[in-house]
Formats: sequence, C-alpha cells, structure tokens
Amino acid sequence: MTNLTGTADNTVAEVMPADGQAIVGRSLREIAWMRLRRDRVAMISLSVLLFIIFIAAFGPLISKLIGVDPYSFDSSAISDNGGLPNGKWGGVSLAHPLGVEPLTGRDVLARLLYGSRVSLLIAGSATLITVTMGTIIGIVAGNSRGKLDSFLSRFMDITIAFPLLLVIIAMSPVIEQRLQAIGVPAGNPSRVTTLILVLSVFGWPYLARIVRGQVLSLREREFVEAAISIGSNNRRIVFKELLPNLWAPILVYTTIAMPGLIGAEATLAFLGISVVPPTPTWGSMLEESVGYFTVDPFYFFVPLTMLLAAVLSFNLLGDALRDALDPKSGRT
Amino acid sequence: MKKSTSIRFGVGVVSLALVLTACGGSKSDGASAGTKGGTLTFLTEAEQFAHLDPQRNYTGEDLAFASGYLNRTLTQYTLSADNNEASKLVADLATDTGTTPDGGKTWEFTIKDGVKWEDGQAVTCEDVKYGVSRTFATDIITDGPTYAITMLDIAKDADGNSIYKGPYVEDATGQAAYDAAVVCEGSKITFKLAAPVADFNYTVTLSAFAPVRKDADTGEKYDDKVLSNGPYKIESYVKKDKLVLVRNENWDPATDSFRTALPDRIEYNFAVPSAVITERLMADAGNDVYAISPDSVDPAKLASIFSDAKYEKRRWNELDPYVRFFFINTKKVPNEKHRQAILAAVNREELRKIAGGDYAGEYADGAIKPNIGIDYAPTGLWDSLLGEAVPATGNVELAKKLIADSGEEFPNPLVIDYPKTEVNDKAVASLVAALGEAGITATPNGLEPGGYYPIVMDPAKQGGMTSAGWAPDWLNASTVIPELFHPNGGFALTQYDDAAWMARVDAAKAMTDRAAQAKEWQALNTEAARLGLILPTRFGLEQRIAGSKVTGAYIWGPYGSWPYATLGVNAQ
Amino acid sequence: MFKYIIRRTALMIVMLFVLSIVTFVLFNAVPTDPAALTCGKSCSPAIIEANRVRLGLDQPLYIQYLEWIKGIFVGRTYGSGSQTFNCDTPCLGYSFRNGEEVTDMIVRAVPVTFYLAIGAFTLWMLVGITSGIYAAKKRGQWQDRTIMGITLVGYSLPVFFVGLLLLIFVVVRWNLLPYPDYYSPTKDPLAFFQTMLLPWVALAILYAAYYTRLTRTQMLETLGEDYIRTARAKGLPEKIVVRKHAFRAGLTPIVTSAGLDLAGLLGGAVITEYIFSLPGMGRLAIGAVVEYDLPTITAATMVAAVFVIIANLVVDLLYMAIDPRVRL
Repeated sequence: MTNLTGTADNTVAEVMPADGQAIVGRSLREIAWMRLRRDRVAMISLSVLLFIIFIAAFGPLISKLIGVDPYSFDSSAISDNGGLPNGKWGGVSLAHPLGVEPLTGRDVLARLLYGSRVSLLIAGSATLITVTMGTIIGIVAGNSRGKLDSFLSRFMDITIAFPLLLVIIAMSPVIEQRLQAIGVPAGNPSRVTTLILVLSVFGWPYLARIVRGQVLSLREREFVEAAISIGSNNRRIVFKELLPNLWAPILVYTTIAMPGLIGAEATLAFLGISVVPPTPTWGSMLEESVGYFTVDPFYFFVPLTMLLAAVLSFNLLGDALRDALDPKSGRT
Repeated sequence: MKKSTSIRFGVGVVSLALVLTACGGSKSDGASAGTKGGTLTFLTEAEQFAHLDPQRNYTGEDLAFASGYLNRTLTQYTLSADNNEASKLVADLATDTGTTPDGGKTWEFTIKDGVKWEDGQAVTCEDVKYGVSRTFATDIITDGPTYAITMLDIAKDADGNSIYKGPYVEDATGQAAYDAAVVCEGSKITFKLAAPVADFNYTVTLSAFAPVRKDADTGEKYDDKVLSNGPYKIESYVKKDKLVLVRNENWDPATDSFRTALPDRIEYNFAVPSAVITERLMADAGNDVYAISPDSVDPAKLASIFSDAKYEKRRWNELDPYVRFFFINTKKVPNEKHRQAILAAVNREELRKIAGGDYAGEYADGAIKPNIGIDYAPTGLWDSLLGEAVPATGNVELAKKLIADSGEEFPNPLVIDYPKTEVNDKAVASLVAALGEAGITATPNGLEPGGYYPIVMDPAKQGGMTSAGWAPDWLNASTVIPELFHPNGGFALTQYDDAAWMARVDAAKAMTDRAAQAKEWQALNTEAARLGLILPTRFGLEQRIAGSKVTGAYIWGPYGSWPYATLGVNAQ
Repeated sequence: MFKYIIRRTALMIVMLFVLSIVTFVLFNAVPTDPAALTCGKSCSPAIIEANRVRLGLDQPLYIQYLEWIKGIFVGRTYGSGSQTFNCDTPCLGYSFRNGEEVTDMIVRAVPVTFYLAIGAFTLWMLVGITSGIYAAKKRGQWQDRTIMGITLVGYSLPVFFVGLLLLIFVVVRWNLLPYPDYYSPTKDPLAFFQTMLLPWVALAILYAAYYTRLTRTQMLETLGEDYIRTARAKGLPEKIVVRKHAFRAGLTPIVTSAGLDLAGLLGGAVITEYIFSLPGMGRLAIGAVVEYDLPTITAATMVAAVFVIIANLVVDLLYMAIDPRVRL
C-alpha cells in the first residue's frame, strides 16, 4: 500500500507459486476454473463486474434508449435558490431515473454510465500497461541476474522511492504538453492518455519486483535446471518454463491492481486533476458530490455505490482467484 | 481590487458565486453588543494571506483585515452597516481627511501625534513617505495597487516606467524626483500629483499609502513580519496553519476613533476545507460560537442555512462590491460583431443557476455595479444594445445573424480561461454548449486558482475569453473603466487599444466636475458593453455565517468584508 | 555484516544523488516559467527578467542544480544590493511564492507528518496484526468471515470519504472530540492526543484493513507448514506455536510492507492532512504543486524519497534480525 494502486510488493507470499504439474490429467488452469465456479462469492463478483463492463461498453446506447444525456442542463429540475434538485431522493423522476446534479440539473444516471467508461478505460489501460511492463522487466531482471539485474533493481527502487501522488500531480502538465506536441488532441484525449501513462509508469515496479522474485526462485527449481542442462535456449526457458508458472501471480496482481487504480483515479479527481470537465468519471462524480452528502445524500451514494461495487467485486474475485490457484488450499 | 481566487486544491469552489439587492432584506448585526476580551477565531480555506505587506495587499477582505488590526492608513471608510454611510471618509492616521489647496493637484495630510509602532517608536511623516516609496520597487513589492506610480508627479522614461525605482535601488536622480513629489514638513505630508485627482483622499485608504519604517523593512520578507501600528501585533504567523494576533500595548485608543479592538486575542486558522467551515459554523458548538469566516458559505449548504430560522440572526446575504464577468480579448476576437455574438449566444440563466440561482446575484449589464452610486446607470445591454433583445436564456438566432453580418468567419477556437473550481467547471461547460449552438467552437482552459492571474495576465498565454471579477478601489468608476478597458490600466485583459476610445477614457479620468464625470463613466460603461469588451454575468452577492457569540458582524460595504475593526465576542 | 551495512549505505548515497538529479530535472522541466510567477498584476517583462536574475533562474539547468546542491551543504546567497539575504545550510532553496526559505517550511512540516504517521502506524499495526492472527485461527468460521468482510469494505472506501464522514459526525455534529489541529506533543500532550486521535483513526482504517488481510494470509501459509505440525506434535501450547513459530516465520513480508508504508506516509499523507487541516508534508507538497512553487516541490519530493530509501535499508537490516536464513 505504499503505492497509490493499493497493492504491495509482497504479493509473492500471498500467491502460491504453481507447482508446474498437479493432480492427474487436469491442468492447473482447469482445476482453478473448477474451484472458481464452485465459489459463489466469486461468481457473484464476476457477474457484477461483467455487468459494469457491459453498461460501460454500451453506456451511450443505454442512455439514448432511456432518453437521458450527461451533458445537457435542466434548469427546471433544480431550485432557484441554491440549486438543489427539486423533489426527494436527489430529484429522482421518470425523466431522471437516478436524480439530477445540483446547480446544473444534469442527469446522474447518464453521467454514471458515461463515467463508467472513462473510469474503466483509465484503470483498465493502466493495469494492462503496468502488468505488461512489470512482467517483462521482472523476467528480464530475474533471468539475467548480474549487472543488468542489479541495475534494473536499483531502477525499481528509485521509481518506488518517489512520492507517487506528488509526482503524478506535478508531472501531469508536462506530460500532457509533450503529448499535445506530438499530435495528441488537446482536452480529454491527451488528459486521459496522461493519466494512464503516469499511473502505469510509476506502477510497474511493484509487479516487476514480484515477478523478479518468482523468477529467481523458479530458476533454482529442478525443472528449470533440467531445461538449462539439456541446453534449451533462453527464449525457450522464458516462454516455456518461466511464463506458464508466472501467470498465477500476475492474474492475482491484475485483480488487485484494477480496484487500486479505480481508487487512484478517484483520489486524483478529489485533488482536481482527473479528466477535463464536463466529462464525468466515478471519481469526479464522487468528488463533486461529497460536499453534498449531508444535504443531498442520494446524489452522493449513487457514484459511491458504483465505485464500491466495482472495487469490492475486483477484490473478492482476486481473493477467490488466489484460493483457486493455490495448490495447497485443497488440503486444508 | 481583484477578487481573490483563494488557493485551494480539490474539493471545489472558490465560490465566485453569489445574488442581489432586494434579497438582502433587513440587515442583522450579529448578537448583542460586544464586550472587551475573549478570543475571536477566524476559519478560512486559504493557506495564507496573499499579502500582509501593506504595499502589496490588494484583496478586499485582506485589506479590511489588515487595516482593522495591523496597519493604520491616512484615511478610512466609516464603519457602518449602511452602505451610504460607509462610503464616507473618516480620518485615521491623519488629523483630517486631507486638504487640497489647488483643486486636487496637491494633497496635504497631517499625521496625528501619539500614534506609535508596536515597539513604542512614534509613527512619523517620514514613515509614510518611505512606505509609499516601496510601491515603486516593482520587482520586489509585487501585486499591490500602483496608484502611487501613476498619480504622483514623477517623470516616466521612454517605456512609460517611472524613473524612480524604489528605495532598494541607489539612484540619486530617481530619489530626488520622489523627494520632490512627496514632501515631509514636520508631521505634514504633501503629495504632488501629475494631474488633479479630486478624490485622492479616497486613494489613500488603500494600505499602499500606509507607513512602513525604513529600519524595519525586510523587503519581500516584510510580508511575514509586519511591524504593527494598529491595536494588535503579530504573535506568530505560520502559513497553512495559524496567524495569532495579540494586543499591541503601544496602541493608544485616544488616537483612534475607528477601531474598538474588543477581543484580547485573534486566531486566524488557515487551510480549513470549505465544507468543514460551513458545517462548524452551522453547528455552532464549543468554541466555534466565537468563530467567523471571511469565506462565503459552502454553496451546498445555502438552502439549508437560508431556509432555517435558527440562523436568522447570524447569516448574511448582501451585495458585495464585485462584478463577475468574462473579458473578451479584442486581440483574439477583433471583430466587434463577433464579440457581440458571444454576448448574445450565452445562456445567462444557466450560469446564474450554476452559481447558486437567487444567491448568485442579478444579471449584470456592464462593468459598473449599482452600489457604486452616481457612476452607475443601466446600460440596456440586454434590451437593445445588440440590435434586439437578448433574453437570459440567450438569443442564438441573433448570435448567428451577427456572425453572418460580420462577413468573416468566427476565429475558432475560442479559448476560455478560468480558475479551475467545480462551479467554474460547470459554468464554462454551459458557456461552451451555448456558444456551440451559435457555431462558435469554444475550448475550456481551467487553470490552477493559485497561479491564475499571473498566467492570464501574460498576453502570450491569455485566451479569447478570461473569467474575472473586479470591484472599484473606491467609489469612483475611475477605478473601474480605465483599469479594465484602457491598455495602461492594471487589469486591462480586454487589450482594447482603439485610439479614440483611449483618448475618451483619459479625458474622463482628468475631469474635475464629479457630476459630469459620472455621466461620462455611464456613457463609457454602456459603450464598453456595446463593443463587447466584456461579457458581464452577475452583480455578485455574498452569503456568510458567523458563530452565535460573535458581535458586531455585518457586511461592510467598501470592501464587501467583515468590519474587522469593530468585531468582538461575547465572552460571558 | 558490517561490510554489508557499509556497502548498502554507500549505495544509498549513490541513489540519493541520482534521485536528486532526476527530481531536479523532472520538476524544472515544468512548462511554466517560474520567474513569470514572481509578480502578479503589475508584471512587466523587465520585472520578470530582474527576478529571473535575482533568483538565479537565468543560469543553465546544470548550474542551477550545482547551486542547489551547494546550498544544501554550504548555504547560498540570494539577490543583490540591499535586498541580499542568506539562506543557511542546509539550504533547500527559496520559495518566492511563500517568501520563505524552503528548509524552514520543511522543518515545520516534518514533525506534524511524523506524529500523524507514527500514531496511525501504531494503531493499524496493533489492530491489523491482532485481528489478522485471530481471523487466521478461526479460518472459515463466522469470526473470520466478519473480519474479512469489514476489512474489504474498509479497504475499498475512498480515504477522503472516511475522513470527511468521521470529521463531520464525530467532531462537528456529535462534538465528541475537539476539532483537529496541531499541538506540539511536548507542550500540550493532552490536546495533542485529543486532536490527533481522529486523523490517526481515519488514516489507520485503510491500512488496518490491509494488514489484517496480509497477516491472515501469512498466518495461513505458515500454519500449514510441516514444522508447525512438528511443533504441535511435540506438545507445545498453541499460543507459543502461533506466536513464536507461525507468526515469526510469516513476518518478513509484513515488515517489508510496514517499512515502506510508514516511509511513504512520512513523505506526506496528502488527503488526511487536507481533510483535517494538518500543516504537514503532504499539504506543503501539494500546495507547492498547485502554486508551481518549484523549489518547494523539489525539496519535498527529495525529503519523501529519502524516507523511502532509508526505510528500504532498515527493512533489509531487519530481515537479518527476523529471519536467520537471510545470508548477506
């Protein structure tokens, strides 16, 4: 939890190194899937996540079907003095199924649907880059040892040593300008790219450390030694021997990195440096509504519920995955 | 003076958001009469004072604070809840409100006897002279008003800068020029002006004309350790945390009819989140009954506070001195018709609702606000100036027509600069949408509030429209029209340099017949509106709330601030 | 062992050096012109240029860097003429925005963050480890499920929400505690504890949830090991088995995380400090970022990074104490 993504570098110990071969005839993957399917919590979490991904993917379509729009103002839905939504429950009505935003009368449901897209896009892309970079650099470091390894390790140390939040806030304008200079359109295209970049650039060392540790211990294992002794080349060792044994920790890391990054986006929004308004995200909706939670609680609970549902589901799924992938868990 | 964009991150709003005269209703003036003693506590979201250095202080609320407690000025406005009464001058450091033997070209003030610095030394004429000279050191004494430079009779070099560079630069010529313009004879100080200024005695209410003692001047560090000659002195000042004022034993109430100095101690707490300040003042529990905030009420709580009778005695909803508007940069939008199209397209009703509806103030029709007095007359901007009536929701057809009539393409994209706060984000979103309907592509450019003014005041970085707020420095539109619309003005972000226009403004400024001058300001205000130099949005209102045992609180007209000098607590 | 410490310390110094260069370059590459921010309304190009020279911003970046490093070790002098002033060793620069030496600001902010972090750290380690061990012992039973459920929610809630909720209800509405403020613990210990309690709790909730989960996982891992079975088989009381054998063996990752988390917090707990108005490192740093106060940002980043690097060293040294298998 030293990092924004809420993950730690000790996941090594939390996830079980796969044994390579398991019980008769079934691959580890099959066993894990079997276990997962029997786990009710995991299945519920998975359905919630699929649902969220679905509404994010088809957000604009759904909004159109319901007839709501995230950007159009509705002065008639809010009061003249103070701009609070007219009516109870944050102005819930047929026209606005989840109420409206104070001061503007913009539709909360539509903003939530559109916001899901951006939040998931940022968290998802950052996770993907983090995991890819972390895996590659981790394997390279662990597999090469020697000078390259110690250089990469020190590099990770230095990257981790930076106060992440601070650097992200300070660096964002610089990166954004550079992006615009190479032709990324100003506004949200460059802002979202910037967010994804900063979150991944400072996020990868955590996974890289885990992977490196795993690789170091895998290389001591008999099957790798065997592969080396029969003269397998490096490439074969990496792809055939190491990678298959790494995907368990990587998968688990992914499920905990996702909610961490969703939370990170919310934190950045709280500090006022998320996407360019009026584009909504879960984080920016939360940030705007937190001040209203004593006077218009419903407005606040809508994005909070969404964020909690996503984060909880990812975490629960991560736990379940860990258990399912743990070869020992069957024994207890 | 500029509207402060208090420095903050995250959680929303510097509420540049506030509503109008009629709503003010009866003025409450806090609880019962004040008593001596107790601790008065301030809560603010700002992390520090922008400036406490008298020559650099230029934010309304801070001016009122510092002159109430720390630095006395030659003259002051009357402390009264009544706006007309409050606009009258009283003598403070001087024995009277100033005299001019020659119709405003020369002004004389005599310093009172018995006024002392916090270390017991007497405040002299030389201290005032030295204080005023600091304004000329423009590289160190930044951000303050520059009237001393523009008004005093000191030669300018080819670039229009004063030949006097302030007390920190050794330069005999410059010093001689200054010594000739500001003269001390005993306790009498004489200011010789380049051109007559009929109301220079109003100018000197600004603390830029307050004394600073030469041996105590620490240059740019003076901001942190001001030597007081008021009723309090600084015990400690820790930015982002707290400023503590204690009584200045060398302040003699006999010399001061302006300040009552009731509390024994004043604690000013910085960096309290806006939502928390309002919650605390509403809850009114524990020591918070003695608390008060210079910030506006958190907009989310406005409805709760103003609909509940229990806050009746300690809530205020008053006109503040500020007009809210957007500059339209004539260098970026040179065509007059295009500028008018912007005015026509905007949905002012949405903007007002976003800013708090009835609490946000009335629709503005120009840069001059009615509470300035004789310089205001309705401009009729929204009725006829643009060719036809423009309702509050905008007139998109007119906007399109104006663009078509201009015979040129609108210079898209139109960049809109604004200090990034939640409310401003929404307001600009509304602007962008409304302009879009008229075929204008606008791009929002939200800037960090802390660095906002320095950035937009750089012509290279300024966009086509720039969010701003302005209040007169005293009740004469000479502190509005030339400042905003003349290239030599201090806040001339409209960049309008039409020669005929400039000559007219200069002429109005030099007029000595106040009534004729007022007519001319009204005409110029109307013309500026018609030319689309600004998009006026609201005549702002200010909402505040105070703890139940704070006494003497009301919104003081001249600065739209608390009347600091007479605030107290009921400690019994 | 001694040689190892020397080697690690030398490495640490090299890292700090690299870090200082990276930090300096990173932040001074910000596109805003720092000299332009030194004056507001009455800014003219001439004034900006004068201030650029006065603050040494006209020099090439590497000279500025060398000046900065020099300032840390021997101090430096700013300005010219009658407006000269000295910035004493260790001089981390001069903040024009605040009109103050950066070192003074940091010296003021560090204790606040230090007490905030240490208090929260103690709290979350106590709660996290205790409930983690308890949950592991009751694996699969309702106690375990309840604890895990609570921690999951605690772990998922945004910090700013928890903080604001606690503040508004515990302090403002119910008046159970005085409003958070910073009192020096040496001058007024009672006020210090009363006002810091809430920030500690708010900050500790998130971490306690995480450490409960971490401890539980570690315990389950080690409780399944053969040597635990052996320990139980030879009749050791369960208490000793848990405390001496299982917990100690699973301690390494907990120590790693704890060290880094504490170090990370010492660099500033941004959100908590913001919500509770504590004038610590986080506020200082973020405020500086918002105001483009480059000397302060650079210094705050350096200080934060130094904490993390030192923590890394301490953690590695602690390994040796905990785990006799670690050979150096």
